[in-house]
Amino acid sequence: MNQFPERNPHLAWRKIDGDTVIISPEDSHVHELNETASLIWQHADGKHSVDDIAKIVSAGYEVALDAARKDVNELIEILSSKGLLAAPKSQEVSAGA
Amino acid sequence: MPSTPVMDRLIRKTVERHLPWNVHIDLTYRCNERCVHCYLDHEDYGEMTADEVKGVLRQLADAGALFLTFSGGEIFLRKDVFELISYARGLNFDVGLKTNALLIDANRAQRLRELGVRKIQVSIYSSDPAVHDAITKVPGSLDRSLAAIRFLRAEGLQVKLACPLMKQNITAFREVEALAAELGVPYMLDLTVTPKMDGDRSLLALRNSPAELLSVLQDRNLNARMFESPGEGSADGLATGSATSSGIESSAYDDVPCSAGHNSCYISPYGDVTPCVQMPKPAGNLRQQKFEDIWYGSAEMIRVRAARESQLRVCSTCSIRSYCERCPGLAQMEGGDLLGPYERACELAEMNARLAGVPNPVSAMREKFESEGIPRMMARASGLVQLSV
Repeated sequence: MNQFPERNPHLAWRKIDGDTVIISPEDSHVHELNETASLIWQHADGKHSVDDIAKIVSAGYEVALDAARKDVNELIEILSSKGLLAAPKSQEVSAGA
Repeated sequence: MPSTPVMDRLIRKTVERHLPWNVHIDLTYRCNERCVHCYLDHEDYGEMTADEVKGVLRQLADAGALFLTFSGGEIFLRKDVFELISYARGLNFDVGLKTNALLIDANRAQRLRELGVRKIQVSIYSSDPAVHDAITKVPGSLDRSLAAIRFLRAEGLQVKLACPLMKQNITAFREVEALAAELGVPYMLDLTVTPKMDGDRSLLALRNSPAELLSVLQDRNLNARMFESPGEGSADGLATGSATSSGIESSAYDDVPCSAGHNSCYISPYGDVTPCVQMPKPAGNLRQQKFEDIWYGSAEMIRVRAARESQLRVCSTCSIRSYCERCPGLAQMEGGDLLGPYERACELAEMNARLAGVPNPVSAMREKFESEGIPRMMARASGLVQLSV
């Protein structure tokens, strides 16, 4: 897993009334994230580590850090599987090799 | 086109909260074609600069806009068009373009793909160059547009053909359908021909009569495809083409005449904001006012936003309302009343109802005029049936 998750730059997205709406340009698929997932999404900027984001979620929702870390990891897995996060740099290199 | 449950929910939310999530910006009225049915004046009276447009985009992003359509005129006549698309993508907008594609080559197609443009709509009037080029008044324009579409497709970009139908190309829809199939893209017929922006109604002579449109609306293949749904969770319903409609049907709009002023608006090259391109009265100007002040506070936006289906004079009692694609903007422009009926919509609704098997369909407007012994309205008709296929 990418320890510094980063949103796929090809996506269109907007936070609308607390939730986040994401559009994939390739297939026009619409994704929705709830408020908690939106917080994680907003910090998936390639600069915050998974641990940084877990701390933000832990503080924002008053949950234990371990629980927050588990939730963040799960969401990042899901977002990655849907192509909503950029591939980790090392994967890009191996894919191009 | 019907919506999906996901889009339905989102549309409902944006309508309820009055979030301007779908914005159409004409970057220029200048054009390198001179289409016979075009309602625009192609002079440049002082377009917004790139910096002004960027400022508008920042305000729109802050206001919650997501879907952005850059149109014109011909957008690629602006030397800063890629700078503006890039800026919009940097603000995470979903960007769609409307273009005649004459200025798109392989390099530009690649650039558009790299920038993450989601959809590009190109007007094609016929597969016969003689017909297409006679409408655009540019010799060779069909070949150039088709070459551009192939460049765009080679990049994997989503392209949609828009085919406005008028007297000059009434029989073209089947060949455009075949062309779309060959190119591997969807297409859309648009039966709308509107008055010019200055009110000149001479263009309405180009409209086909309801009787002439019968062969189009009776086409089984076309009708079958009209009712195809986009996939679950798809935003394709917003891949619109008509100048007059978002092209997406949703139960979220049940109580409002259309999306204009509720979750969508139009911005001219000069910064005028209107609820829709078909509602020419400016609600405000972005060179003098902030977008949010216009969107939430202008009298025109509030007036349009207040309209409800149940308030429609005459139309709310019409027995064939469900067959009607009434456009509030055209009702204002052609009938003089945002809430009133207009003859073209009534004629087409009667034809649609008849085709659906309704015996002797009569619109409420015709009923009213016949009962009062008034001859057919003098106002000449507009065209409004958008067929998304």
